[in-house]
Amino acid sequence: MQQQEQKLKEVLSRIFNVNPDMITEDASPDTIENWDSLRHMNLVLALEEEFGVEFTDDQVVEILSYKLIKIVLREHGVEFI
Amino acid sequence: MSFNDAASIAQKTANLSEMLEFINSAELSGDSSGIPVAFNFLRNFTIEGIEPYIQCHCLSSGLKPKIIFGNYDMVHQEVLDRSSHLYSSSPDIIVPALYLDTYLPEGWRGDWRADDVMISLTGLFAEIAQNTDAVIAVNTFVPPFYSDFGISSVKDLSSCHNEVLKLNQLIRKHVLSKPARFILVDWERFVRLLGANESMDYRFWYMSKAPFKKAFLDLYALELVKIARALKGKSKKCLILDCDNTLWGGVIGEDGLQGIKLDRYSYPGNVFYEFQKGILRLHERGVLIAICSKNNEQEVWDVLEGHTDCLLKREHLAAWRVNWNDKASNIRSLAAELNLGIDSFVFVDDNPVECGLIRDMLPEVTVLQVPEKLYTYPPLLNRDGLFDTLTLSPEDRQRSQMYRHEASRKHEQAKFETLDQYLASLSLSITVHPVKEDEVSRVAQLTQKTNQFNLTTRRYSEAKISALCSDPDWAVMSLSVRDKFGESGLTGVLIARKEGEAGIIDSLLMSCRILGRNIEKAFVLEAFAIMVKSWGVKVWNAEFIPTHKNQQVAEFWPSIGFQKLDGREGYTFYELPFAVPVLEPITYIAIEE
Repeated sequence: MQQQEQKLKEVLSRIFNVNPDMITEDASPDTIENWDSLRHMNLVLALEEEFGVEFTDDQVVEILSYKLIKIVLREHGVEFI
Repeated sequence: MSFNDAASIAQKTANLSEMLEFINSAELSGDSSGIPVAFNFLRNFTIEGIEPYIQCHCLSSGLKPKIIFGNYDMVHQEVLDRSSHLYSSSPDIIVPALYLDTYLPEGWRGDWRADDVMISLTGLFAEIAQNTDAVIAVNTFVPPFYSDFGISSVKDLSSCHNEVLKLNQLIRKHVLSKPARFILVDWERFVRLLGANESMDYRFWYMSKAPFKKAFLDLYALELVKIARALKGKSKKCLILDCDNTLWGGVIGEDGLQGIKLDRYSYPGNVFYEFQKGILRLHERGVLIAICSKNNEQEVWDVLEGHTDCLLKREHLAAWRVNWNDKASNIRSLAAELNLGIDSFVFVDDNPVECGLIRDMLPEVTVLQVPEKLYTYPPLLNRDGLFDTLTLSPEDRQRSQMYRHEASRKHEQAKFETLDQYLASLSLSITVHPVKEDEVSRVAQLTQKTNQFNLTTRRYSEAKISALCSDPDWAVMSLSVRDKFGESGLTGVLIARKEGEAGIIDSLLMSCRILGRNIEKAFVLEAFAIMVKSWGVKVWNAEFIPTHKNQQVAEFWPSIGFQKLDGREGYTFYELPFAVPVLEPITYIAIEE
């Protein structure tokens, strides 16, 4: 479960090309400059790839913060601590 | 990070996160040794997703990309606006990435005509071509997957489906009718190869106008990087093949001529037969074919000359190393014999140990291992476009033959006491003249491909060469060589410009296969004489720009009487205070008109 958290941070830091330390609980387009609409598309694709899930249309536009991503991933059965 | 790491990442279309990590770390480590190449996209949809795929394929090809995306759906405006990125950034490759959507009329009726769209596209391409000298990568469109009129759609010739097919055909013809710098990037083929499900991303098309999935973007990127490789002299020139389980199934030394698997009518012989067809097609395109294998030499010849289904014959080979030495040394010695850089080679072997050895010892060589699923083997050689060139010139088609002549020349050399005696026996003759229209494509190709005998390594497009040819202050001179063994074709180029009473050498380059006969000196003497006649210049200036491949010409200018002026940032400048170099006449080279 710790691993899933780790993996999530890794994906975000790679997609937005920022240091993993930047990926805090509060991470969102407000705290990460690179989190724009184009990279958001990559984020969706990468999360689906990494966690083997498929977001609903609503979720694609909803997951605009680290916390929200975790909530939505939980709905898909991904377990975090 | 090595080219091979990048290649394997690029090849398996790794997941996005891994790929970005790889690119980020390559950037961080300052691994910027690649040759710069600039892509500019003009687009009417969201294409930014292609960026990591281009970066990855570029990294694996020793290229360093700069990618600029024009503003969304501003294609025609940016082409007309002389201050747009298209004109301020001098791109190598312009990609008008066009999705059909914006070319169709509003409303639900599909009544539009391919001819109308084609008129708009023709105008756009002409404007780009006229105002830039970049390569232009023109795409076809994706035909609809469902028909508007149900099962009778096919009979309604004006259906959207039929119009898109017609439009694609018009685009193909258009590209065909244009100079070599128009290249077709066939989206319709990508979709055929991948299928709609792997190609189209309808979710992000409707949400963000981004219609393509990663497999499509990867294929599109690879196709664009193939163009970049060809343009920047990164195309491979020679294919080196192992024998047992690579050219045929089984081991000739154990299975014998009748036992090896190469029968065209049964599996797996038919796979090897098909693979050999691919080799011959490359040979026909001018790629050099060599063998590097651990066998008894005679047994290899027995197969090549004696097996009815062995398409590859001894006459197709430019060189071979059939012995028990390690393959890295053999490939080095092939490089020396063929006068090619190590990075010009592609090596195919079935043995993972041999493949690993070459990857380790000679990382510049592209190593392809025979796949375990043998039935996927035949397309191995043309899938990645490793040998692609922008054009195919007559010289390409004759190249292997010319290398074989070179081998007989070397054989002759052994019979003479002195080099001069030998050279005199060759009946060498050269033709030097300002480049003619039908030579432009070959000249541009030589500037793009020549690395070793190249004083300044400036790469020129066909359009640029054409422009220089018609400029009275510039001269582009070509060299063609013939001897008693045959034609070597157009193998040298000298580009110069006039500045008052001085002539300035912009480029001097020659194909390696004609070196070692003082042809370079005869060429320069004759070219200077022609230019002095028309320009009346009194002195010459020249420079040497070092690269890691052209050390052999570092002393060329002094060797024909130029004096060193000064150097900066590795460049060296030279001057010749006379109109024509003072050299001993080279009596054994005849000058032909």
